[in-house]
Amino acid sequence: MADLEIRDLHVRTEDREILRGVDLDINRGEIHALMGPNGSGKSTLANTLLGHPSYEITAGSIEFKGEDITEAEPHERAKAGLFLAFQYPVSIPGVSVANFLRMAINAKREQPIQVKEFRQQLQHAIELLDVDRSFTSRPLNDGFSGGEKKRAEILQMAMLAPDVAILDETDSGLDIDALRTVAEGVQRLHDEQGLGALIITHYQRILHYVKPEFVHILMDGRIVLEGGVELVERLEREGYDQIRQEVGATAGATGDDGV
Amino acid sequence: MSEPGGETVGNGRTPVQVKAGRHREATLYHALAGAGAGDGRSLAELRTAARIAFESLDLPVWRRSGFWSTSLQDLDLDALDADSPHDGVPEVVTRTLPDRPRAGRIVQSAGAVVALELDPQLAEEGVILCSLEDAFREHEELVSRWYSKRLTLDRHKLEAANAAFWTGGCFLYVPQGLVIEDPFEIVYAIARPGVAQYGRTLVVGAPTSEFRVHEYDLAEDFDAAEEGVRQALHAGAFELYLQDGARCRLAQVQDWGSGEVYDVSTRLVAVGRDAHCHWLPALVGGHLVRQHLELAVTEAGGDMAFRGLFFAEAHEHLDVFAVDLQETGPSGGDVHWRGAATGESRASFEGLIQIDPGAQKTHTYLQIHSMMLSPKARIDAIPSVLVSADDVSASHGGTVGELDETGIFYMQSRGLDRAAAVRVIVEGFFEPIVHELQDEPLQEVVRRKVAAKLAAAREDIEAYATSR
Repeated sequence: MADLEIRDLHVRTEDREILRGVDLDINRGEIHALMGPNGSGKSTLANTLLGHPSYEITAGSIEFKGEDITEAEPHERAKAGLFLAFQYPVSIPGVSVANFLRMAINAKREQPIQVKEFRQQLQHAIELLDVDRSFTSRPLNDGFSGGEKKRAEILQMAMLAPDVAILDETDSGLDIDALRTVAEGVQRLHDEQGLGALIITHYQRILHYVKPEFVHILMDGRIVLEGGVELVERLEREGYDQIRQEVGATAGATGDDGV
Repeated sequence: MSEPGGETVGNGRTPVQVKAGRHREATLYHALAGAGAGDGRSLAELRTAARIAFESLDLPVWRRSGFWSTSLQDLDLDALDADSPHDGVPEVVTRTLPDRPRAGRIVQSAGAVVALELDPQLAEEGVILCSLEDAFREHEELVSRWYSKRLTLDRHKLEAANAAFWTGGCFLYVPQGLVIEDPFEIVYAIARPGVAQYGRTLVVGAPTSEFRVHEYDLAEDFDAAEEGVRQALHAGAFELYLQDGARCRLAQVQDWGSGEVYDVSTRLVAVGRDAHCHWLPALVGGHLVRQHLELAVTEAGGDMAFRGLFFAEAHEHLDVFAVDLQETGPSGGDVHWRGAATGESRASFEGLIQIDPGAQKTHTYLQIHSMMLSPKARIDAIPSVLVSADDVSASHGGTVGELDETGIFYMQSRGLDRAAAVRVIVEGFFEPIVHELQDEPLQEVVRRKVAAKLAAAREDIEAYATSR
């Protein structure tokens, strides 16, 4: 049994069905890539896994570490060891990065973390993510550049040490230096802490720095193709259109409202 | 958050003629802006004049065209007692005030001063801290020079009541050149219903003095189901005069609790030549609160920062009129307030920048940000500008916001439950103001008050958030 098991997941928003039967297994220590064109349902899957209230699960289930979390509150999923790095991180004015991290860490614990231990962890994460010390005293994401926001996401991930992290287009909008830092951070958390990751991306760029063992391609709300890292290379050569034609012919997918 | 944007009148380089009154259509109140009642008359004469005014005036009702009124007509003034007994320092005072080093403390409960302490060293250096009654007995010449210098006594019935009937009171005098790090604490407390408290404070900072004043306005939570009188009143008058080069950080924590306490007060700060005042009221509770808060820069080189926060809950009614008055230039002003409302509370914040003729080279800015935490709560934020000089800059701006569902989900995804996430957002919203208190014990008091308000409104806030 996998750590994160997604079975026949159907999800809709107010106006339409977006996921139409997704199956996915992710374990600690595994790096997965989920790729797909715009509008295929990637972000919907990410948000649904953490329990965003705007997405309604109409069928299927999500199990995490043997528990059914299909209906769980977002904070319960987080406490269980899931993490979502947001595509568009939200600014939290008035709360410093360090204070927010302390709150998030303490939310997971019985006893508040000792100051010394917290400082050590923070120092380690700062070095990992190559950010300035002053970064942690700034209000979270407030006035941050795009690259700073994504670094702050990975910094939080490093501190919260989840079992499985979903990275929702963490690579988009990053220059190559920031991309490399972020990607190497993910790779090291995988190597050092046994992080399991689902890297959601529209592009292939980030996958030059983080090597996924499993690649899934999402189209029109279904996973239409799965394989190893060779799938990334094929996608680079052929593009989504070619793959769509192929799977459309074999699987009979209509792709009526897809992009 | 939506950004309604701001409006700029003049920019200091390009003189702009602004017609007086242009931005005043929807507003309710006027600045005192000038000489008060203390014009050489004795205290007895002033009390008599005030009593005559009191007897001829009705309880006030303030109406702004269509959408706002503040009415004292539910107040049963005859049932309240200005001489009601007290039992020493009320428990709410010991419970609320931080245990910290201080320059002095004066506590008034109901109509009498019940505790007074002053650092003996400071007394030796000429600091005076005593009841205003004692000050009139022992320092009459000094007190008379400042008493009611800019406060009037007959604009409305409760102002007249204060001027006529005040008892106890507080007088603080900081002599020339004295710099005092620890704060003077001035406390007005109401321990039970039935009290009419006419609080009267006079503070004078002599030239180049530097000091801090922390005022606390506190009441016990009255049990609404109790028999008999349920109401209490605080009608306050506060005046602070800063002479040449004096500097004061003035903060006020007002929490009248959950009882039916009415507070109708006028507070005035006058900043003299090259003097500076940082003024920060935190208004976090009261059944009906109407505050006239006027910060006047009266001489060249004067400067001020006027910060404030308010948080209304349940059925509270809060009406704040904050004035940034610039009488001469060059001078400066900077006003920044933040307010939130839950339940079915009503809050009106009217912020006025008034620049008098001749106050050239004045630069001032006013911003008001508000956050609605329930569908039935309402905040009206009305910035207004009244400019009578042509080489100035005066601008205002603000935002109106609700709880951001995306932000809540973001924090939940990090393990905070919904209530904690809401608390982070609201505390973060107030933090820029709280931070400016620059006094750790006082910051803690204010943060605890905000947290308690949030906890009380928790169900209400959750219901609102999930309904959207």
